Amino acid sequence: MIQQTSDKKWFDQLVMELRLRQVHGSAIGDTIASAKELLRDTGQPAEKMFGPARDYAEALELPSAPKHDWIRQALWPSTLGLLAFLLFNQAVVPWTRSELLLVSPVQLAFLATPVVLIAFLPLYLDAIIRRIWLCVGLSGIGALSGVLSAVTAPEDRAEAWLAVDPLPWLIGSTLVMVALSIRNTTQSALTPGDDDITDPSSATAESTGTGMNVIVQITNWLFPILALAMLGLALVLR
Amino acid sequence: MEVSTSSPQVAGSVDWPSDWLRATLGFLCLRALSAGPSYGYAIISELERHGFGTIKGGTLYPLLTRYETAGLVTTEWRAGDGGPGRKYFALTETGRTELIRLSADWLRFSDATTRYLDQPTMEGSS
Repeated sequence: MIQQTSDKKWFDQLVMELRLRQVHGSAIGDTIASAKELLRDTGQPAEKMFGPARDYAEALELPSAPKHDWIRQALWPSTLGLLAFLLFNQAVVPWTRSELLLVSPVQLAFLATPVVLIAFLPLYLDAIIRRIWLCVGLSGIGALSGVLSAVTAPEDRAEAWLAVDPLPWLIGSTLVMVALSIRNTTQSALTPGDDDITDPSSATAESTGTGMNVIVQITNWLFPILALAMLGLALVLR
Repeated sequence: MEVSTSSPQVAGSVDWPSDWLRATLGFLCLRALSAGPSYGYAIISELERHGFGTIKGGTLYPLLTRYETAGLVTTEWRAGDGGPGRKYFALTETGRTELIRLSADWLRFSDATTRYLDQPTMEGSS
């Protein structure tokens, strides 16, 4: 039982390490299946037979996708979506109250913080995945900056650095969020399960199914869903 | 190739210096595949049976993966008997040629080493 638990942890770490190295899902499935085959034959624990998961993943030198592919395909769209969502949040309350959108430099700096944190993710992604406290800390900074941007929002026009009509910002940010969601949905429909981890010893995919598809669709439409919720909240509280 | 159950042909100590094994494991694995396609545990058992100690999966699989990338071996998943399948490794023609070349080189090297070691020492001579 203890060995099963430690082996499961080892395999989870191995999958994470191979994913971090941008190894394709089919190659990960092959690696997992061949390692399990040898463990079944020998009855030894994974750590003893293969060494630390990180070292094993490195030693395999499996072919990987170009390092910057995920930045172009996932990171920049996500950063743009977040920026659009933050702008929507700033514009939605003044719009429901028929007021101008007031902006101060301090507020802008706090708003930019989560965007900057995500934009620079490639520099420290490995570190936050391996250290949960760093992940929690950075998430906390992102959330805190969101709260502080609301606290530092100017209350009247005299305090504001900018005073603009919120409607164009609301429409613009909505269009960006919806366009990105349509793009992500189209991409996931065109390449269903393309990078899933498949088990070649039984030819089955581990991560496909209705539940997974629902999660993928919710992720694709996360910002428009949250924006709709914010709009409803703003209309109720005006 | 299946795991042999015949009596082991241990060639002496299994505690070889790791540097020696690192240098020779590549063509020893190719040799283990020369009789036909084989899988991880069978290759490890074959090498252990011939006195090279127990090779870890963390050493064997990265080596075979590099050989697959280099075109020396191919891999194939074969269905198991009512259970999960097995990954079989097989020598390619390039791999067989490489095995012949490395075996010949090794024999020349070990022959030179043996001849040198067998020379009478000059201890005490001026």
